[in-house]
Amino acid sequence: MEGLAIRASRPSIFCSLPGLGGGNQQRPPSDGFLKFPASSADNSTKLVVNSGSFHPISAVNVSTRASLTADIPALSGTNVKEERINGEKKKADNIVWHESSICRCDRQELLQQKGCVIWITGLSGSGKSTVACALSKALFERGKLTYTLDGDNVRHGLNRDLTFKADDRTENIRRIGEVAKLFADVGVICIASLISPYRRDRDECRSLLPEGDFVEVFMDVPLSVCESRDPKGLYKLARAGKIKGFTGIDDPYEAPLNCEVVLKHTGDDVSSSPHQMAENIISYLQNKGYLEG
Amino acid sequence: MCPIVLSNCLPLPLMSVLVFPLTMTLRKIEDKEQSKRLIAVSSGRSDHQERVLRMSTNIFWQESPIGKTERQKLINQKGCVVWITGLSGSGKSTLACSLSRELYTRGKLSYILDGDNLRHGLNKDLGFKAEDRVENIRRVGEVAKLFADAGLICIASLISPYRKDRDACREMMQGSSFIEVYMNMSLQLCEARDPKGLYKLARAGKIKGFTGIDDPYESPLNCEIELKEKEGECPSPVAMAEEVIAYLEDKGFLQNQ
Repeated sequence: MEGLAIRASRPSIFCSLPGLGGGNQQRPPSDGFLKFPASSADNSTKLVVNSGSFHPISAVNVSTRASLTADIPALSGTNVKEERINGEKKKADNIVWHESSICRCDRQELLQQKGCVIWITGLSGSGKSTVACALSKALFERGKLTYTLDGDNVRHGLNRDLTFKADDRTENIRRIGEVAKLFADVGVICIASLISPYRRDRDECRSLLPEGDFVEVFMDVPLSVCESRDPKGLYKLARAGKIKGFTGIDDPYEAPLNCEVVLKHTGDDVSSSPHQMAENIISYLQNKGYLEG
Repeated sequence: MCPIVLSNCLPLPLMSVLVFPLTMTLRKIEDKEQSKRLIAVSSGRSDHQERVLRMSTNIFWQESPIGKTERQKLINQKGCVVWITGLSGSGKSTLACSLSRELYTRGKLSYILDGDNLRHGLNKDLGFKAEDRVENIRRVGEVAKLFADAGLICIASLISPYRKDRDACREMMQGSSFIEVYMNMSLQLCEARDPKGLYKLARAGKIKGFTGIDDPYESPLNCEIELKEKEGECPSPVAMAEEVIAYLEDKGFLQNQ
């Protein structure tokens, strides 16, 4: 349907347009679109915003191609009251507008995938980075765009101001969750690989994302196996008392209660190879539709 | 085909190359520490089993990571940060929106990091005190850097009034992929627009430290792109976006080579 759609946030835009129900003080839904047929958008139509509490987000031309689910930025350089057009002249001369920004679904269409967060949690040495690596490679081979957020690399950049005190650990996880959320919104499959030992912190990150977009993967590997690997030599230091509060030794790891994928160490090379574990995650993503636009 | 294997037990030069047949991928082992780590993470074997395996076959492997180059090849563009700076009401968000749309029509992936939306998420713990403003910019810069590393064209749209803070973000990107776009619109024009009603509140003294009114805006000295009024008229958002795109195209950001 060709015409005009105006999207507003709370409080809703109220349009006093005769013949279109504008005179009866009926408030439209608090966040949604009001559509006007193209025939109403002639030179005599005036869109009046007559209260300081209104906050129009934007007016967009509706076409069969346009996406109406966008996060549309605030009108900039415009003033609906002044009925002045800032930018290109369009059909409805006295409605100020700009093109909607690209939305999540546009990006998904472009990438042919849906953004999500794969949150890999587990003890140090459980193989999180290895699986993250194998997963990103396997997805790349399928033409999918991923990005890995690693506890270590983020601590040298975004989180370089944080220490290992309890509050800072929580803040570390929070910030990574927020960044992962942004990546998912871009349409990237964001792989976050960090111990993240506390259930509450992981659940907070889950709550940031829409239902289903947070895929928690638990590396279910016994402490003895992790310690025998000790890839960074940290268990040795922790046992010698040179590191305090090390997860698994003198700080708890709270296993997930309801995660989407459990990768259990079996000791069998084939079923617990990084490649196979990556494929397990990929099957999950495929079933849930994340590997298509 | 027999694997060519090297052991980290032998005295080897620093760079060792392992080739493994079938499905394993070529992986350059950068140093001995890393090679030790690779052995340890390759399986759930015990130390003894690993030693036996190592001595008998000297095989260790790791999947090579997907890096920036691979990602850029996949989506046929080079990651970068387009940092749009200017007074409130200068049209930063409008340009960001237009730019992302024009890039999309060219099949390029971009994302807008907006001062406002970040303050409701990542930066929700920050206020408007001087040190919080600095931290706000720093975090946006760090996230933009991650996005550029992922291969995205990251459009950061924020007033970012202090030269020192913008320059610090430029430093973070190691120079070449930071494109500073200065919305050089007059205070008069911005105030006349006043899209969020903030100039009015600032003039009435209801907001303190508002950039342009009672806090300075330090214009860039060496930005890559400057957009300004021409004969008293502001160029259209599409025209301004095209100018930025021409720059990106010229510098090779819209292809992967």
